[in-house]
Amino acid sequence: MTRSDTQKRADFETVAVPLMGALYQTALSLTRQPDDASDIVQETFLRAYRTFDNFRAGTNARAWMFTILYSVFTNRRKKAGREDANVPIEELEAKYWQFAASAGPSPDEVDFGQLKSAEVEAALNALPETFRSAVLMVDVNEFSYDEAAAALACPVGTLRSRLFRARRLLAAALHDYARREGYTRSKER
Amino acid sequence: MNRTNHPHDELQLLLDERLDAAAHARVEAHLSTCSQCRRELEALRWTQRAARGLNRPDATAPPEVAARVFAALDEEDRRASPSAHPERTQRGSRLLPALGIAVAAVIALAIVFLRPSGFDPTQNAADDLVRYATATLALDLETKNPQELEQFFADGRIAFPTRVFDFGMMNFELTGGRVHDIDGRRSALFAYTSASGGHIICQMYEGGVSELPDGFERHVDDGIEFRVYRRGTSTLVFWQEGPLVCVLASDGDPGEALAFARAKAQV
Ligand SMILES: [Zn+2]
Repeated sequence: MTRSDTQKRADFETVAVPLMGALYQTALSLTRQPDDASDIVQETFLRAYRTFDNFRAGTNARAWMFTILYSVFTNRRKKAGREDANVPIEELEAKYWQFAASAGPSPDEVDFGQLKSAEVEAALNALPETFRSAVLMVDVNEFSYDEAAAALACPVGTLRSRLFRARRLLAAALHDYARREGYTRSKER
Repeated sequence: MNRTNHPHDELQLLLDERLDAAAHARVEAHLSTCSQCRRELEALRWTQRAARGLNRPDATAPPEVAARVFAALDEEDRRASPSAHPERTQRGSRLLPALGIAVAAVIALAIVFLRPSGFDPTQNAADDLVRYATATLALDLETKNPQELEQFFADGRIAFPTRVFDFGMMNFELTGGRVHDIDGRRSALFAYTSASGGHIICQMYEGGVSELPDGFERHVDDGIEFRVYRRGTSTLVFWQEGPLVCVLASDGDPGEALAFARAKAQV
């Protein structure tokens, strides 16, 4: 390698390597398969490295890497033609609106605070990908609406409506789950 | 229920702090009179907090994933510049049959001949430390026992005798080692972590400190010359031990790195 190639590699690693953990976690949540997540992360780094000359130093490397990650993920999914496992969306949404329509806390009000992160993760991973990816970008990885929309290659309005629906579905799923597990405030007291 | 009576979407925008002042005041006014919306906001707020809780800033990719990534980048470097890095080329399984061993050998000779001073392990040593600190450097053997690691290297893996340092007195614990490559040369690498989150990587390889690039600070102690380089946040201390070069890379205080090297260097 020439000196400048060595420097490019070093610069790239400085920017990209610290993001590997978050990229892997996100890939895992998108694919639910460690092997697929590993493939996607590898391809993401390779694509990012090949186009690193186009990346302007000082711009948002996280947004750039996550955009590549999601693009790699969707390309692979198109090729594989895989469909999402379904959760009963309409049923969950109906439950959410039912919850939202009922007034004030009841004596056995669900206590979300008793949920463990593994349970939250499982509920998120059960959502269809379009909703899951919105939550992954905006809430889990804390990107702005604009950054998330760019990464997911959709208009901001679409991102926003997916995100809002996703949170409702997730809230309903968690509420449902917590009630079945008996995570209630009355129990806590 | 008529959903339009309640500002459902605005509750989410409130959560994301995306409402302008007027809309914010309107939603707050509604919330003060509507227990349903207060309850919904609480559920949404909790859901968002739970999702945010899934972001673990210290989350790392499994070592095998990191290893695959670095192997792919190495492969890409070879493709982009196939004549360079002869020893790395020999490790690769895909390029060599295409080139032919004889051709590769000629190229290797040409590189050695034409670029006698092209060897620069400083950036590699600093990169390895960053990889280790971000848990993306795979170790071949995980052990806290220096003798066990020396034996591991001696079992046909490293051609020269190694000395795996014990930094226990300095509150750094050995975590393991790997048979590594530093700018194309085989190296024995061993890694340490302190309870306070510091990282040290030591490597030994066959060569001379005279091959190292300029731009170092020179310290001499008991007849041993130490060359200190700074690369980013890393301090690298190189010194000669017979036919071997030792390098200690640390992300801690530069003076501490030199002190550690002095404590372990042998004539
Ligand atoms: Zn209301």
